[in-house]
Amino acid sequence: MNNLIKKLVEAYGPSGFEDQIRALIWPEIEKYADDISVDALGNLIAHKKGDGSGLKAMVAAHMDEIGVMITHITEEGFCRFTNIGGVYPHTLLGGRVQFADGRVGIIHSDRITDRSKIYGLDKHFIDVGATGRDDCPVQVGDAAGFHREFVANGKMLSAKSMDDRIGCVVAIEAMKRLKQTPHDVYFVFSVQEEIGTRGAEAAANHLDPDVGIALDVTLTGDVPEAIPMAVSLGKGTAIKVKDAGMIAHHGLVQLMKKRASEASIPYQLEVLTGGSTDARSIQIANGGAAAGCISIPCRYVHSQSETVHADDVENSIKLLVELLAKPIEL
Amino acid sequence: MDIHKLLKTLTETPGPSGYEDQIAAVIEELWQPYVDTITRDRVGSLIATKRATKNGRTPPRRILLAAHMDEIALMVRDVEEHNGSGFLRVTPIGGVDTRQVFGQLVVVHGRKNLTGVIGCLPARMLPEEKQDKPFDFEDLLVDMGLPIETVNSQISIGDFISFRQPLLKLMNKRVAGKSLDNRASVAAVTVCLEQLQQRQHTWEVIAVATAQEETRLLGAYTTAFAVQPDAAIAIDVTFGKGPGANEHVTHELGGGPALDLGPNVHTGMFNALKATAEEMELNINIETHQRASGTDAHGLQIAHAGIPTAIVAIPLRYMHTMVESVALKDVERAGRLLAEFIVGLDEEFLGKLATGVMEEEKESKS
Ligand SMILES: [Zn+2]
Ligand SMILES: [Zn+2]
Repeated sequence: MNNLIKKLVEAYGPSGFEDQIRALIWPEIEKYADDISVDALGNLIAHKKGDGSGLKAMVAAHMDEIGVMITHITEEGFCRFTNIGGVYPHTLLGGRVQFADGRVGIIHSDRITDRSKIYGLDKHFIDVGATGRDDCPVQVGDAAGFHREFVANGKMLSAKSMDDRIGCVVAIEAMKRLKQTPHDVYFVFSVQEEIGTRGAEAAANHLDPDVGIALDVTLTGDVPEAIPMAVSLGKGTAIKVKDAGMIAHHGLVQLMKKRASEASIPYQLEVLTGGSTDARSIQIANGGAAAGCISIPCRYVHSQSETVHADDVENSIKLLVELLAKPIEL
Repeated sequence: MDIHKLLKTLTETPGPSGYEDQIAAVIEELWQPYVDTITRDRVGSLIATKRATKNGRTPPRRILLAAHMDEIALMVRDVEEHNGSGFLRVTPIGGVDTRQVFGQLVVVHGRKNLTGVIGCLPARMLPEEKQDKPFDFEDLLVDMGLPIETVNSQISIGDFISFRQPLLKLMNKRVAGKSLDNRASVAAVTVCLEQLQQRQHTWEVIAVATAQEETRLLGAYTTAFAVQPDAAIAIDVTFGKGPGANEHVTHELGGGPALDLGPNVHTGMFNALKATAEEMELNINIETHQRASGTDAHGLQIAHAGIPTAIVAIPLRYMHTMVESVALKDVERAGRLLAEFIVGLDEEFLGKLATGVMEEEKESKS
């Protein structure tokens, strides 16, 4: 599975620019779907048919990643930029970004006069090796994602955009393993989650599911001085109860706990005080859906070394398969 | 209808946002005698339909009344052990006023319901910078007096916690308690449904006790989409006057319901409600909002092609605390106003809304 993870996390795909990552995911799922389509926003939607006795379920993992967009090129050929999604300046200095054509740039900042301060994004620039505005290969409006190699430190897996390519991996693996399901399942590899769960919103409006399950990363409380949170890396998949954007459907949470216990899948219960996922959009679309989230615990979210544990990934896949293979009574 | 008794039942029943089963069951029982069908939807809202009793158009026009049944609450964020006892760390659900959480009684909805108190170190034992500040959720804990083993077997992270507060009778037919936001409005809708038993109406009435309003107006968005009413009214509470409260956004307790004006409200709906109140010689106040109203109206209004929406608000003091106070009379008046408005709805109503005749009619009367 590490090969698949490496392939997906290293790929380019900031919000709104998901063509390349979508092209990578498509062949991975082709064999396991009854039909595949791409909607107007760019969501990749794979339908796995049920036997007619179940519900309509939408499973969403977002393909997009946080990134930057070029706003200005200086006379000297340096690129000023703004954020796409939650990019914070203290994660940037000395980092690298990759553009759609594979070109890599280096991020640095204007002269630092006070080392105790963090400078805003507007004080940062990207150096792509140009000598002036005229030979700069990058133009205003170009988007870049981060550039960072995948590392497996035993079971600790680190890379940029684990959020949420690891969710995509969970979805892909679940599709492979889900031989039969009573439910009409739509696996949505969604776009534009990082800028407001917009892809999932359109997909949910269109699919109108009874049940919505997002697959996304969540934070952990197991690092020094972390925001208190009872989720740790390696201790199991996380069943979301609440995040800053929604309260998960109580019946669905209970069912996830039950399925996990039945199959001896280690799980943790997630109460997240900041951030939300595609499930938020699915919950409120149309007449509403029972929405929940299977979360993959992740350290250092929205940095260039987002870190997950292989066991948690495996347990998330197992729980999703258990849930979809059996009846869903809410 | 004994409104005090009604409010006592409604406010003392737990119903945290996302965990509305108990309060929904109570409301279902209350409304059952007055409506034709009653169901719960996928997000937990309770939807009751009262068919038209007077012949009109087929299918009849429909008006949706939305009063949220959920209440602000807490949730277990972590379990902590100290000298063999178990304590809970909590996070708020909805806009809990952090200045008043310390010292409250709560019910933890674990495998069974457990009573606890919200404690915190005495001010003098807190670091100096925290001594005179509102409480930080990181410092508060729930103490049920139980050993850690019991806590671990009965409670898990993510369990809901509701506040526990009996409804108090104050002087002058006022009451104080928890979750009068928005059970006062649920009571008003109940009064309306009861009144309609004696009256004829050509419009179908869809009464909804919405879920998860305090967190994201969830039930308003979803029921308005599912039901597709021709018009809608959100019923909620608004700021009551009191010492220190400013003049322009607050309303006297007992001074009648407030009709809201602002972007979430269709002026024709407002005018029609106001005209109804005037005919009834019923006191009302006018209130305004400039952006989002902070009520279900915000979600109701934009479903499908848009829904003409109004807000009827009950003045309430000490919002989002355990001593929210309302005047019983305002609850009753809001209910009667809704009923009278519904009785007056006819075939021409929507046409008048569209052409703004409501405005002219009102002007010619005054
Ligand atoms: Zn994510
Ligand atoms: Zn309210």
